[in-house]
Amino acid sequence: MTEYQSQELSLDGADASFLRRPARAVENAARDTTAESGEAGSVIRSKDFTLFYGKTIGVKDITMDIYARTVTAIIGPSGCGKSTFLRSINRMNDLIPNIRTEGFLTVNGQNVYDKRVNLVNLRQQVGMVFQKPNPFAKSIYDNVAYGPRLQGVHSRSELDSIVEECLHSAFLWDEVKDDLRKSALALSGGQQQRLCIARALATQPRALLMDEPCSALDPIATARIEELIAQLRNRYTIVIVTHNMQQAARVSEHTAFFCLGELIEYDLTSRFFTNPSNKQTEDYITGRFG
Amino acid sequence: MHSSRPQEAAGFNRPLLLSPGQDLRGYVFDRLGRSFLFFITFLSVVAVLLIFFFIIREASGFLAGPYVKQFFSSTHWYPESREHPEYGVLAILGGSAYVTLVAMLVAVPVGLFSAVWLSDVASFRVRQIIKPVIEILAAIPSVAFGFFAVLVLAPWMQTRFGFDTGTNILNAGVILAVMALPTIISVAEDSMSAVGMEIREAAYGLGSTRAEAMIRVVIPAAHSGIIAAVILGVMRAVGETMVVWMASGNATQIPSPWWDLSKSVRTMTATIAGDMGETVQGSVHYQALFSIGILLLVFTFGLNLISEHLLARVRRKKEA
Amino acid sequence: MKFRIFPREFRDKCFTASCMFSVCLMVFILVVVLFPMMARGLKAVFFQGTNEFREMQLVVFGHGDAERIQRENGEIEEARAFVYEAANRFRRGIDTEHLADEVRGAYRDYGSYLRAAGISGERYSAQRARAKDLRDALLDAFESRDKEYVQSRLQCVLQSRADPDFGGTPIEAYFETAESYSRIAASVDLSRREQYAEAFGEVREALHKLFGPGPGEPAPALTMDQYGATRWDAVERELHRLLWSEDWVETEPGRPMVKETRARREFFAGTELEPVFDYVETNLEKLFQPRFTFYWRYFMDGSTDGHYFGGCGPEILGTLALTFFSMLFAIPLGIISAAFLVECTGDNIAVRVIRTCINTLAGVPSIVFGLFGMAFFVLFLFPVIGEFGHGTLGIFSAEAADKLTKPNILAASLTLGLLVLPVIIRASEEAIRAVPINYKEAALALGAGQFRSFMTVILPAAAPGIFTGIILSLSRAAGETAPILFTGAIAFGPVPDSILEPTRALSYGSYDIAVGDRLAMLVPHKQYGMVMTLVALVLTLNIIAIWIRSRSSRKLRGL
Ligand SMILES: Nc1ncnc2c1ncn2[C@@H]1O[C@H](COP(=O)(O)OP(=O)(O)O)[C@@H](O)[C@H]1O
Ligand SMILES: [Mg+2]
Repeated sequence: MTEYQSQELSLDGADASFLRRPARAVENAARDTTAESGEAGSVIRSKDFTLFYGKTIGVKDITMDIYARTVTAIIGPSGCGKSTFLRSINRMNDLIPNIRTEGFLTVNGQNVYDKRVNLVNLRQQVGMVFQKPNPFAKSIYDNVAYGPRLQGVHSRSELDSIVEECLHSAFLWDEVKDDLRKSALALSGGQQQRLCIARALATQPRALLMDEPCSALDPIATARIEELIAQLRNRYTIVIVTHNMQQAARVSEHTAFFCLGELIEYDLTSRFFTNPSNKQTEDYITGRFG
Repeated sequence: MHSSRPQEAAGFNRPLLLSPGQDLRGYVFDRLGRSFLFFITFLSVVAVLLIFFFIIREASGFLAGPYVKQFFSSTHWYPESREHPEYGVLAILGGSAYVTLVAMLVAVPVGLFSAVWLSDVASFRVRQIIKPVIEILAAIPSVAFGFFAVLVLAPWMQTRFGFDTGTNILNAGVILAVMALPTIISVAEDSMSAVGMEIREAAYGLGSTRAEAMIRVVIPAAHSGIIAAVILGVMRAVGETMVVWMASGNATQIPSPWWDLSKSVRTMTATIAGDMGETVQGSVHYQALFSIGILLLVFTFGLNLISEHLLARVRRKKEA
Repeated sequence: MKFRIFPREFRDKCFTASCMFSVCLMVFILVVVLFPMMARGLKAVFFQGTNEFREMQLVVFGHGDAERIQRENGEIEEARAFVYEAANRFRRGIDTEHLADEVRGAYRDYGSYLRAAGISGERYSAQRARAKDLRDALLDAFESRDKEYVQSRLQCVLQSRADPDFGGTPIEAYFETAESYSRIAASVDLSRREQYAEAFGEVREALHKLFGPGPGEPAPALTMDQYGATRWDAVERELHRLLWSEDWVETEPGRPMVKETRARREFFAGTELEPVFDYVETNLEKLFQPRFTFYWRYFMDGSTDGHYFGGCGPEILGTLALTFFSMLFAIPLGIISAAFLVECTGDNIAVRVIRTCINTLAGVPSIVFGLFGMAFFVLFLFPVIGEFGHGTLGIFSAEAADKLTKPNILAASLTLGLLVLPVIIRASEEAIRAVPINYKEAALALGAGQFRSFMTVILPAAAPGIFTGIILSLSRAAGETAPILFTGAIAFGPVPDSILEPTRALSYGSYDIAVGDRLAMLVPHKQYGMVMTLVALVLTLNIIAIWIRSRSSRKLRGL
């Protein structure tokens, strides 16, 4: 299979200086460049990215790099544009009429708002897990096999192994292995969410976008998902939106703070929570946010 | 390809950008599919155009001929007369107007009261029972209503009220009212529900009784939907064929005295249905029947545009 | 204060009561309309069938247990024999024309008997002359109304009884006749013979209606006359006509006539016919052997002229065919249009025009659809296609090309399809829009294209809604009459063997049987049966639709 070279997009002033790059990221970049071309291992870059819902602004002037094989958390108060930004990355916002974008948002060096973008390939490689578990009204097996089937995998044995592997990866295998034919809607909320993750993994994404995956779950299910993210972090580029700052601190390597549609701070998680550079960020993480 | 997933996972192995040239199949498929779907959907437009075209085409000879003036000015309809055929449509228009008017006089109050009951009085459970009843009423085929009108209602009217004939304006009007009821109720109820709870609460908060809240506040607020409901009811009544053909008596006359509802009349639809079997294709009579068809078509088309306009207003209100 | 509140409350109460009243009125109307139609219609299927019904079914439609019916008929014939014999005897007394014919016949027979016996010449003439005397005496007796004269003439005949010349010859029958006639002449008022003859005609008609043609009578030409009362309600009706005579009499000059009902038993008192009335009344069960019948073949059998016997099988078949082919046309178009309107477009001028046209299509009166179907399909498109296929391509036979120029199932189906197209489009569009957006998001996020996500996720989720819409439009298509009037419906005709022929249909049949067919007025259960079948078909479809919808909405709420 061909490795598609990322054609570097000329971003104005697209050098490292536009954000304070965390030290850890530099190490990552060093590691990644051995395997890939691309700018210092940043898989998703956005430069002055702005999205309008009709006339109202969803996010404004977002400029940030997201690095390969790391977990990046996005936190912020409700309505600050976290979901909007996340959904912009694999263009799920296209479903909403009257949206307009400005600036650049690139995945693997390609502008995703280019006219020529193939949405199928984009979304296949940038998977998404939604806030509310949304399994199809099909069996567990068919849910997981949905993606591979779309990609043309139809042999029974191959599908079986993919389903098993992905359910293992999502820590769901032991709970459902006896009734894969059961309707996915019969699972509990936490199981459904893990099934959705398994389903997303089955399409072999390169990056995984998670929009508050735990907000509808109880603490035990949340813990399982966090464990799962920890397992996946070395294989996938993960961007997770969360309301829960402890969770961000636990699972992520980088954390971004959004407020009112703008990116306020983006840093290594360790530094972000211990030594925030922005007053607003500090207020937010210490719970003094108004 | 899946077996090697962990190793490959970091790299993007599928192109994100594909020009139409690179993804020719996908591009062509997409374009063709869309055009095909558009074409299929466009058939509805084609159908409407064809309907207008063919009805007008068959009627054109009459409309360009010498009888047009008579058509719109005479009440005499004797198309099969050998020496003096007459093609005056006024009595027939009058017949349609009579039965429609009677139908609306019955159906509008009953329908509006029922709509109020469904939207504001009935409990959820009772509504769940009544709604299917309305649907069933709407589903009964018109020929079954006509059958009822002829074999049950007509003899009853004749013996009960001593009418000369049981198939008359009153009979057809009442049955048409029953048939228009479901339309009127469901559209009116929709528009009354679209008037939000806040407005009702405001009215009740000022001490209004239910009657006052409904009559002074909700119904005025829902007026466009209610007018649309009445218009749709009128369309149903004017366009209905079997019931009026069977129940109105089919006598081409304007009743005299004008308020005598026990007289038989003949409507546009019944004229077309009844006469078409006896005409020769292309004859003046045949073309005259198509001309009546044009009248019907234009009339319902106009009403339809008005109701659509009104209902769009209701929809906007609902979304807001 | 109180004084001012009171009218307000009162008005409010009135308002609420009016609302209640309206809804109750609607439910009441539904019951009033449906109940008599269904109840009377069911009588076409459930009834007390007599042996006449079973025999008719066997002969006309070939259903039933032939042996058993034969056995039954044997018993019944025995039971009916009494009636026929009595009637026969009475007829002999009253119907002197008939008797005179018999007597003349016997006289002729006697002539040939003599010749066969080798008697000729003088002796032949003499014996014939004596026989002629007897014959004339009898004819005189038949002719006369004077009891004594009649008896004396009969006595004349009976005197020759011992005459050896007549023993064993056709003339012997004269003595029987004379004897029985003398008995009748003694008991009956001969001056009322004409009245008797007229009343007897009515009795015979009633008997014919009850029992069908009597033994030895030639089979009537019409199927409906070949059988007696096939149903118990008909038996009771005809029995009444047998037992009672109804006359319009003028009580006073200038006043309207009054109906007078008189028992025939009294009218025929003292005659041979008198016991018949009691006999029939008391032995009714034996004479008909009524049995409760569930005539399920009503929904399959064809019918005889005027729907007098049989069922509505061809109508059901025709309705199913029309509905099926119209759906074949409307369902794909409807669903595809709905998919396009939801998935592929936003809100632009083209879409607005399309929507307006769909609404217009929904508002076009059904009779105009009929006109259009005739003008476009029957008179324009099909002849062109037929001409092209037959003349230019040579793939159609001349017969098919000819059929294409006449009303046929295909034209009617296409017209109906056009009529229900907007219904299906609207229902499908609504169903597709009702699918939660997160289903679609999930599919798209997994890399499904728009087409794939629609086919694999959205369509299955919208299926119950679409299906409901389809069933509703199916019931609409099944019930519509006006569009098929000129495009493919007929009141009577054979079951079509291709879609290029016109067909009967329940809807048009209901119209025809109610106002078009004079014979059908004699069989109200058939009239109601037809419309009951139509309404039952349509309502069943609707109830299924309502059920599916409530089930799927419960499922959605349960999610
Ligand atoms: N479909 C939409 N149409 C219009 N405005 C929207 C839409 N979705 C979100 N918004 C607006 O965009 C802003 C960001 O929303 P979102 O990204 O969902 O916030 P969150 O950070 O809570 O996920 C909010 O102010 C919201 O009102
Ligand atoms: Mg959100």
